[in-house]
Amino acid sequence: MDKQLDAGDLELAVLRELTALRSFAPSRGFSDLVMARVRLPQPAAVVLFRRAGAWVMQPRRAVALATAYAASVAIALRLTLPWLGAHAPALKLGASWLGTQVSALFNSVILTAADWAVRSGAADAVRAVASSGKVWPALAALSIGYAVGGYGFYALLKTPGRSDALVRS
Amino acid sequence: MATAKDLRTLGDREVVALAKAGKEAAYRELLSRYERPVFSLIYRMVRDRALAEDLSQETFIKVLNALDSYRPEYKFSSWIFKIANNAAIDQLRKRELDTLSLDGAPGARTADEIEATALQATDRGESPLAELESRELGSEIEQAIGKLRPEYRTAILLRHVEGRAYEEIADVMDLPLGTVKTYIHRARLELREYLAHLRT
Repeated sequence: MDKQLDAGDLELAVLRELTALRSFAPSRGFSDLVMARVRLPQPAAVVLFRRAGAWVMQPRRAVALATAYAASVAIALRLTLPWLGAHAPALKLGASWLGTQVSALFNSVILTAADWAVRSGAADAVRAVASSGKVWPALAALSIGYAVGGYGFYALLKTPGRSDALVRS
Repeated sequence: MATAKDLRTLGDREVVALAKAGKEAAYRELLSRYERPVFSLIYRMVRDRALAEDLSQETFIKVLNALDSYRPEYKFSSWIFKIANNAAIDQLRKRELDTLSLDGAPGARTADEIEATALQATDRGESPLAELESRELGSEIEQAIGKLRPEYRTAILLRHVEGRAYEEIADVMDLPLGTVKTYIHRARLELREYLAHLRT
């Protein structure tokens, strides 16, 4: 291209060169730096719970809510205690009946479990372990199993932290 | 679940919808689509690479953290260019960098500073001679763009470098369509004047 251009050529050359100007790229790692500061959307329930928590934890609101809670409990007691006093015999009878029912259900569950342990051979297996002197290793294995299971459950539920995020700083 | 390859075939609106649903890959796709255009626009506006990187980062963080407020009836590109342009214009107002040349920012004193703030016109896959000639004119144009008023600069860059429609530029700049056309026309005239020394 001759550097000396007439007016028409210059117009065309300017437009052509404008269109052909290179695009610049930011430095490597730009997108990771951006992503490290972007908040990815979370489930609505989590967001709602956090917002509610933040709202409640404002000092004045927390005091107001605690006062309202105490007042509502006092009002509820004020209304229910006289009624409870007036119906005490009937309530006592009802509570006694309910207690009997719960106790019977508990006994039934225990008996069913014991029956299953005897019939399935589980009781014999436990007895065999106890008599063979391996009770401590068995208890240790059981404890380790519980601990590993508990940690796995915790790892599953915990919120990913900065070190777990899939971005480089 | 959409893979990165699938995402590349989707339009901006679909990718934004996936990002709103919490897909990190969709966020990265938006970044990869717009990091060069946004960075180029800001860099040509402020003429300082480090500053352009900071402003581009702020633009993306602002946009990606506010996707919920994005209304799909508008073009995503208009939205992101508007935020990028506002960031650049604000910075120019703050630091009065609107008359910089290709040779670096006015505040650049040392050789390193000049090099860091100078725009580079480089290879577009042409022959060495054509590249040299083109680079010469490209450099002249980069220099001339740097002399334009910021409003003209935004308009001409969006129109001729990014290939955006007049209507989209009007959206980006919050100006009537007629004003945008006038800006682009005047910008071309000014560029011709700045490059008049190349005429016979």
